[in-house]
Amino acid sequence: MSEVKNAKPPRSKAAKWSRRGFIGAGVLAGGALLVGVAVRTGNPIGKLKPIVAGGDGEALINSWVKIGADNLITAIVPHCEMGQGANSTIAQMLADEMDVNWENVRVMEAPADGNYVSQHTVRAFIGPGTLPDRPNQVGFMEPTYDGLFTQVAKLAGAYVTGGSSSVRTTGQNGMRIAGAAAREMLVAAAAAEWGVPTSEITTENAVLTHAKSGKSETYANFAAAAAEQDLPRAPRIKTIDEYKLMGTSAPRKDIPSKVDGTAIFGIDGGPEGQEMKYAAVKAAPVMGARVESMDASTAKTMGGVLQILNMGDFVAVVADSYWQAQQALNTIQTTYTKTELDSLDSDQMFAGFSKALDEAGASGGSSKADYGDAAGAFTTAANKIEVEYKVPFLAHATMEPMNCTAWVHDGKCDIWTGSQMPLVARGGAAEGAGIDADDVTMHSVLLGGGFGRRLTAEYSNQAARLAKATGYPIKMIWSREEDTAQDFYRPADISRFSGGLDENGKVVSWNNVHCTEDEPGDAALVEFYDIPNVSVRNAEVEMPLRLGAWRSVAHSQHGFFVESFVDELANEAGQDPLEFRRSLLVNSPRHLAVLDAAAKMSNWGSELPEGHGRGIALVRSFNSIVAEVAEVDMTSGKPRIAKVFCCIDAGFAMNPDGLIAQMESGIIYGLAAAMYDEITLKDGRVEQSNFHDYQMMRMDDAPEIAVQIINGAPDNLGGGGEPGLPPAAPALANAIFAATGQRIRELPIAKHFT
Amino acid sequence: MKNTAKILLVSAAALSLAACSSEPQEPVEQIIVREAGAAELAVTAAGASTDLAGLAASGKAAFAACAACHSVQPDGASGVGPNLYGVVGRAAGALGGYAYSDALANSGLTWDEAALDGYIANPSAAVPGTNMVAGAQADAGRREAIIAYLASLTE
Repeated sequence: MSEVKNAKPPRSKAAKWSRRGFIGAGVLAGGALLVGVAVRTGNPIGKLKPIVAGGDGEALINSWVKIGADNLITAIVPHCEMGQGANSTIAQMLADEMDVNWENVRVMEAPADGNYVSQHTVRAFIGPGTLPDRPNQVGFMEPTYDGLFTQVAKLAGAYVTGGSSSVRTTGQNGMRIAGAAAREMLVAAAAAEWGVPTSEITTENAVLTHAKSGKSETYANFAAAAAEQDLPRAPRIKTIDEYKLMGTSAPRKDIPSKVDGTAIFGIDGGPEGQEMKYAAVKAAPVMGARVESMDASTAKTMGGVLQILNMGDFVAVVADSYWQAQQALNTIQTTYTKTELDSLDSDQMFAGFSKALDEAGASGGSSKADYGDAAGAFTTAANKIEVEYKVPFLAHATMEPMNCTAWVHDGKCDIWTGSQMPLVARGGAAEGAGIDADDVTMHSVLLGGGFGRRLTAEYSNQAARLAKATGYPIKMIWSREEDTAQDFYRPADISRFSGGLDENGKVVSWNNVHCTEDEPGDAALVEFYDIPNVSVRNAEVEMPLRLGAWRSVAHSQHGFFVESFVDELANEAGQDPLEFRRSLLVNSPRHLAVLDAAAKMSNWGSELPEGHGRGIALVRSFNSIVAEVAEVDMTSGKPRIAKVFCCIDAGFAMNPDGLIAQMESGIIYGLAAAMYDEITLKDGRVEQSNFHDYQMMRMDDAPEIAVQIINGAPDNLGGGGEPGLPPAAPALANAIFAATGQRIRELPIAKHFT
Repeated sequence: MKNTAKILLVSAAALSLAACSSEPQEPVEQIIVREAGAAELAVTAAGASTDLAGLAASGKAAFAACAACHSVQPDGASGVGPNLYGVVGRAAGALGGYAYSDALANSGLTWDEAALDGYIANPSAAVPGTNMVAGAQADAGRREAIIAYLASLTE
């Protein structure tokens, strides 16, 4: 956005994906039809290309459908399941386009080693229908073609689960096309066999029917013949009035395994028939430090201990059981090399942030948005306020602690671990085992929580190094203390605002500078609000911790900053926070509809009991618009969140129950952090260690939550996994202000009510 | 140390991968306390044992993993799982004071060595519906040792 000067930018085009799909098909042994679609990706995962596309210049999303001889249809989805349920929704989209009943659908996570189709099958895909339309497309299609049909291994690794993207990309641009193409090929095969026009054939419940002649066959019986048909170049996708499964709350396919306990998570994984040994690890506590010395004299005498290792950046104990390994590790005395962070405390770090913001001043730093004349309008404004907000580092605290099982044998390595980017995990293990990534087999398993934590390579790297060094199949499990102290953290930030109002209380100037560079890039932008003069900038700072994507990424900070400041402007203008926002949304009808719906749900404006307050917030993230109203009870002197009302417009809810669940979970995760949590530093080390000082929300603290869905743009899908989170903190802080007059400008909230 | 506040969805992963490349992957120091299967926990390979007492002793060590749920004290209270003192030869579901699953209570099994071996190898496969959802032992030698240990627990 930095190139946009003095002109209001167009409506955000977050996550624009090419619809230029690319279809191939073939027959598997046993007559199963396999149809694949590759979609060239746009900007959102451009950074991934070197990792996932093997340097061939293309990153791909691919989706596959398999028709089995038993007439069961399997959606092979290149995304992980970490509780969000998206893979099931994606299969729902496939089944609808294909006219398959939900009972006949199965979901399979695409493996990250690509061995699920043989080379011969892959070659069978190659056909005239796959050639490019025009010569000038060769540059783009050829690598795609190669990647898809000759290097399925690498392709299957075009694999990331994040950015609230899987339903709106793989589902919308991959699976729907694959399903529609498969259906058209089946119809064509039946038409040829029966000698009737394709237009007379109907499809329902995975059965082809020709009513006039009374002929009827299952998809399975035409699977092999379908593969001989021409590949559809642009299969017809259903219009919204034709949806049967899309838009319904079809029950998630992963429910039974999670109820009966057969679901296999990362921590359950391991080689069949091999006895594993267990590793507990402890990394150097200050970023960049290394282990200088290790005294393991007690650990050596303890039960079950096999090996004690100083790996340079961490120490480890390998034992017969996890408990024995961890108990022995706890007795090891270590010293670490000195680093320049050894004396750093949180207060000093924030002082550094303030200094950087001072230096950026009213117009410095790198520009994220600049239209109108924010500084000039501020000077002449009738009424002005300047405020500063502060948020801490946050940890992910996944319920399943970080873990990886690795087995290095015969020049190969097998790993079992939950990963949001399986190829990255595989790369970390390859590095650790000192072998090529192609010699590492990643056994994909369910994730006991992701939230952005499981995008990294260091844990598979650790496990593979230990497996290689010891020769044992190693199940490495981090303690909760290690998990809390060695995360890739949501960045801390300070954000400063100056805002100006005219005589009528209309916002004429919005000037914001903050420290973290925003990802996604629209996180701090407010172009949907009718504000004529806007400057948004960021000042570069150094961070003393490893940084990572934390559910909703930069929206987690800016949702709080922006929506708190809008509330402060409303207060300064003497206006109701809802009406004030409504007046700013004159050019944003979808945002306005969402805001109004949430307000109506909450019965905004009605009398509340003494000591209660309502707060509202509106955030657009991952192409979804979410408004939340929080109702807080302050009668005990401390905040108790009574209710949260939420409205989301994600374009179209493919599975409403799934979307509601994601809103609820985003709200709970966001409120827990807003209320209780911060990661702080002392002497360069993280001070928190476990759930007593890094709290999750408990049942008795959780609010009642009501969610309403608006399907405001059926062809322009938004995400679901993250957008429920960003409005939660500001809605709560604004509610506390409404109840008490106390403005919360620093998180966590509990700090203000000790 | 230059770690500016750039936080891309995937940059953390890319950075951490790069970090691995720049650091040695081999141990700086490796203390081998003992080899697996040696010394204190001498679980022998399947079928190789001749010394029943030795086997039971190693089974006692291996049973540490089971002891979180199962008591083996005479007249000890049942925990998450039933007390296993004297279990060998007992009918399945027969111990008073423990709420067995219907599946196990109605299994008709008698806990001889073969039944125990099959059950410990994969409880939910041997008795679908059993309460025992953890503690399966994949290693046959280890199972043999554990069963020898359980068999040694009599008056």
